[in-house]
Amino acid sequence: MTAAMAPTLTRTAVKPFYFNTSAHLLRITRQKATNLSEFLQALRECPENSIFQHTFRTLQEHHFIREGFSNDFAHWALSACNEPSLAENLASVDVREFTSVAELRERFVQIVQSFLERSPVSATRSARETFYFCASDIVVIPTSFVAHTLPEFAEGLRQVSVHSLHHHFIEARLRLKLMSNDFSQWLLEDLGLPDAARQLNRIDIYTVTMENVRQQILRIVERALI
Amino acid sequence: MEPVESNTVGEMTPQEVAQASVSTPVSTPPARPERRKKPRIREIPPEPVPSPHLDDYKDIVGAAYIDEIRFLAEALKGKTVKMVNSTAVGGGVAEMLNQMVPLLNEVEVKTHWDVITGGNDFFEVTKAFHNALQGSDYHLTQQARDIFLMHNHLNSQRIQFNEDFIVIHDPQPPALVQSRDESRRWVWRCHIDLSNPNREVWEFLAPFIERYDAAIFSSQSFTRQLAIPQYLFYPCIDPLSEKNKELEAGSIQKVCDEFGIDRSRPIVTQVSRFDRAKDPVGVIQAFKQARKYVDCQLVLAGGGATDDPEGAAVLKEVRDATDDDPDIIILDLPPWCALEINALQRASTLIVQKSIREGFGLTVTEALWKAKPTIAGAVGGIPNQIIHKLTGMLVHSVDGCAYQMRYLLTHPDFAQQLGHNGREHVKENFLMTTNVRRWLLLFRILLSSQPK
Repeated sequence: MTAAMAPTLTRTAVKPFYFNTSAHLLRITRQKATNLSEFLQALRECPENSIFQHTFRTLQEHHFIREGFSNDFAHWALSACNEPSLAENLASVDVREFTSVAELRERFVQIVQSFLERSPVSATRSARETFYFCASDIVVIPTSFVAHTLPEFAEGLRQVSVHSLHHHFIEARLRLKLMSNDFSQWLLEDLGLPDAARQLNRIDIYTVTMENVRQQILRIVERALI
Repeated sequence: MEPVESNTVGEMTPQEVAQASVSTPVSTPPARPERRKKPRIREIPPEPVPSPHLDDYKDIVGAAYIDEIRFLAEALKGKTVKMVNSTAVGGGVAEMLNQMVPLLNEVEVKTHWDVITGGNDFFEVTKAFHNALQGSDYHLTQQARDIFLMHNHLNSQRIQFNEDFIVIHDPQPPALVQSRDESRRWVWRCHIDLSNPNREVWEFLAPFIERYDAAIFSSQSFTRQLAIPQYLFYPCIDPLSEKNKELEAGSIQKVCDEFGIDRSRPIVTQVSRFDRAKDPVGVIQAFKQARKYVDCQLVLAGGGATDDPEGAAVLKEVRDATDDDPDIIILDLPPWCALEINALQRASTLIVQKSIREGFGLTVTEALWKAKPTIAGAVGGIPNQIIHKLTGMLVHSVDGCAYQMRYLLTHPDFAQQLGHNGREHVKENFLMTTNVRRWLLLFRILLSSQPK
């Protein structure tokens, strides 16, 4: 019997799913900004893993907040520069729409540049706090969870840390270079469950906590088991 | 997606700042209670408790997190670490090493801790360096350089550096790096704020620092431009320590009874030594403004007044500022009252840390860990912990502090959400387990890089 024909409860995946996780260490880079003009310059020059840190990674660091935390750039624009419209534009950047950090950087550069063209007086106004660009040094580590079937997958989802969820569900698109995630790819390609794969990809990560995301993923997977 | 908004809950407009200072109260302030009984303070230090094991943290951070630490350590099994600092007891660094070293050994990263020795002349010089690096005026003499280098040299002859990773803490022993051999990785862990150092002292020390493979700082704002990689390790608290462990309701009540604190009314607390940098008089002024509108008590709990002449002077200023108000409780506690501090923080409705200068501000971390809505000055490492309106409230003035006291005491749902977010923020970033993970990560990263 092929994987696609067996009932989902007993179906064995073409390849098992290995739950991994990524551990990050914050490195302080040379770039810093005391106003928006310096910020724009630093955005252009900082290393890619700095853009990653202040967007993808900060989302993980603040996974427990559901009200108004999107990325460090938006937060600084509001709290240190008192520029709510710029902050709103920066906060509206959804990291899931990007499969490369270069594209993501370009989007932020466009937003800040366009804002400063409209509001040149804001460029050199001193921010209340300096923005220090940090970067993320990453080590990927295994976990003890491996799934060969959908029930094992659900169990793994229940047990792994939110860091592992973030690694597979959010950061994965930078590795895959696809508008998808490791979970959806496995459900689609190795277990033949396109609907569940699609539904997973539609979960909104910005309006709920990462624990809520875990519950939503589990609900979709448990429905697929029925 | 939720867009960021400006001036929503808890944000004070300029008009509100003015109102917080001068407006007429809307209700009559409550009558003052009778004078409270004298606080009963424990006079003998408690027995030390044994160090926890990694598995003891499972109920706090989750089994998966502890498993991740063990997986991270796998690649380092058999590697050796030496930590070197200047004191075995007293102070935050010794306390942290006392907790960290056993945990690293438990994951089979064999870690040894050595303490440098030196005469009074050496420690006088290093104390002056310590203050100068944090901005104090100081003239570096040739004699001070000689004393510093001689004692670093004597220690480098006494201490063996055969481990894979050598971690030197703070500005007392950095010149030990002169005895490095190229096969080992050397790390300098700086626990102090170097953002505005005395130029002479920094220029003297910087060439030593640049011989390390990496430097670690406690906040982005504490760093200097260096040619070596710089990492960010936040200071951390131990959730199983006397100061932070869960307490039963009865224990909390007992402490409040001993200190004469009325738990039927809101309690606003600041825990910090009596030091002008913590602005205890500003807290009293803010409390007095807030209490015109909301019935509450203020507890200022701290120490440092017995062994520090300046602390005693500040304590007198604080007592004078209370005007004998029975709703302001001043507790001058000895250093062994960790359990009492824990109970006070847990009994509090709000916690304040209105510092005007600060290191990292671990009392803020402790408050957030207890899920307490926290108001704190936006200085030092506090903004790393308090994300304004998300994990607590940042303030810049007495008026701002007064307004946030009023706001949080009258908006308990919002205050509770702040407390919840604050605790999660600490769980993610400022616990002992997070730092075990950071050290292991750093060692793995250094292992995969070329030594200098």
